[in-house]
Amino acid sequence: MRMQGAKPKRQAAVNVFFLIVLVVFLATLPLWTDDYWVRVWTGVAMWAGLAASWNIIGGYAGYISFGQVAFFGIGAYATAILMQPGLDWNFFLTLPVGAVVAGLFALVVGWPTLRLRGAYFAIATWALAEALAQLVNAVDFTGGSFGLSTPGNAETDFFYYAMLIASAAIYLIIFLLLERSRFGYKVKAVRDNEAAAQSLGINTTAVKLQAFVLSAALPAVLGGIDAYWITFINPQSALAGDITDQMVVMSLVGGLGHLWGPAIGAAVLYLASTLLNAKFGSSTGYIAMIGALLALVVLFLPDGLVGLVPRARNMKLVRQMLRLPEGHAGGAGLGPDTSGDRQ
Amino acid sequence: MNALAVSDLKRSFGGIQAVAGVSFDVAVKEIVGIIGPNGSGKSTLFNLLSGAIPPSSGTISLLGKDVTHQPAYRIARQGLGRTFQIPTPFINMTVRENLLAAAVEGEWQSAGSRAEEVLDALEISHIADDLAATLSGGQQRLLEFGRIQMRDPQIILLDEVTAGVNPRLRQIILGRVRDLRERGKTFLVIEHDMELVRTICERIIVMDAGEIVFEGTFEEVARNERVVDAYLGRPEA
Repeated sequence: MRMQGAKPKRQAAVNVFFLIVLVVFLATLPLWTDDYWVRVWTGVAMWAGLAASWNIIGGYAGYISFGQVAFFGIGAYATAILMQPGLDWNFFLTLPVGAVVAGLFALVVGWPTLRLRGAYFAIATWALAEALAQLVNAVDFTGGSFGLSTPGNAETDFFYYAMLIASAAIYLIIFLLLERSRFGYKVKAVRDNEAAAQSLGINTTAVKLQAFVLSAALPAVLGGIDAYWITFINPQSALAGDITDQMVVMSLVGGLGHLWGPAIGAAVLYLASTLLNAKFGSSTGYIAMIGALLALVVLFLPDGLVGLVPRARNMKLVRQMLRLPEGHAGGAGLGPDTSGDRQ
Repeated sequence: MNALAVSDLKRSFGGIQAVAGVSFDVAVKEIVGIIGPNGSGKSTLFNLLSGAIPPSSGTISLLGKDVTHQPAYRIARQGLGRTFQIPTPFINMTVRENLLAAAVEGEWQSAGSRAEEVLDALEISHIADDLAATLSGGQQRLLEFGRIQMRDPQIILLDEVTAGVNPRLRQIILGRVRDLRERGKTFLVIEHDMELVRTICERIIVMDAGEIVFEGTFEEVARNERVVDAYLGRPEA
């Protein structure tokens, strides 16, 4: 349940219109574009889901985790191991197994680490992910440093829709649990002031653990799909620390703690890096351009790219198009709501 | 049955005894003031009563139940609400969302309508959709007081709830305290504003150096030499 002040119906209609356009665009993409672009958008869908999952613990709960790749990797390895010859699990059945294992792992490591705050939590989660990568390297059933192959599947469209549906499901779960339920209020209260949250009867330890488990189980599903898609995984690919880095950066660029922020950040950064990489190659110049983009966002859009929406609404032309009254700047779902009169 | 019973409560930080063997009772529907110089242990006492920090020794009983060493959230669920010396709004939420966040452990279906009632009662409906971070200090105190009302606890601890608040907001807060007391609520109030203490508190506990040095009515407190020397001071000649 979520209660808001009076929101202009026109703005709600604009939101629904944009959502329908987005759904139609994504659902029909393979029908009017080639395999290359379908693969690119498969990547966008995956990173949007991963960044959104990280945003649960990092943005909504305020615990900056640098170990989320561990959960992506657990999902990838669960699918790869269960699909090995001899076990031959159905691909779809491997996904919930990965999610449950990742969730249980988060429960075990979250109990001690969520007592830490700030840099200490970040370092602890980073160390746990590194430790898991070393463990996977050392044991046989994961294939060690040689990795594991999964049965080949050349259906580009299959993976596009699998990633798209999984990411959409992640967004729906986050929307329902964190934007439309009392659990969301609990998580945000813990983020903003833990002592005050406790004084209101909120069991902050339990809430943090629940958020951490949720943010762990969801990327495991995407890890499972990725393992099947790329047909080969090893610790360097499925447990690489830069996977977490990208989740963090995409969330920051799009808008930390905002529903749509990670999706916007993932789309902009993944598409930008793909296009720049295609034009300039994997050179330092391409990395510098991405760095410059990040610096600009951090300097001028501290709320992330979603912060552009209320700014745009303040522009005269946009105001006229949307027929917004003077002085009304936000409240249409995208971007922080800055509406309301001040005393 | 007392609303609150505290027996020989102690808490030390390193070598400093912040609360040094405090004992007192608060009856149901009573409004008790706690006064004393800065650093006398008043806010530490509130932190002990609310479970924010555990006591070194002693016992705390809330509505007849021993809550010593229970975590803050359990004590809150058993009927205690509090404000903090420094306001603690959820700064990334709006005023309305702050009120709703206070209702998550209680009856949820009616939370929206109760939030509107509190907004109206505290005369803050016009800032309901503002982010709490943008509020003035006085408005943040009012909001924190509003969050307590969303939970409807039996015992309410107010820590300098009118500090830095303009006269208009002060009157609103005092009016609500009286209303809530009429509805059976019990208050423990830390205040430096002696006029406010005189107006609403039936009994006053005076603390100094972690101990209770005097207990009585406002008139008795004002006449006590030790309290005058330690806290109230004497009028200049």
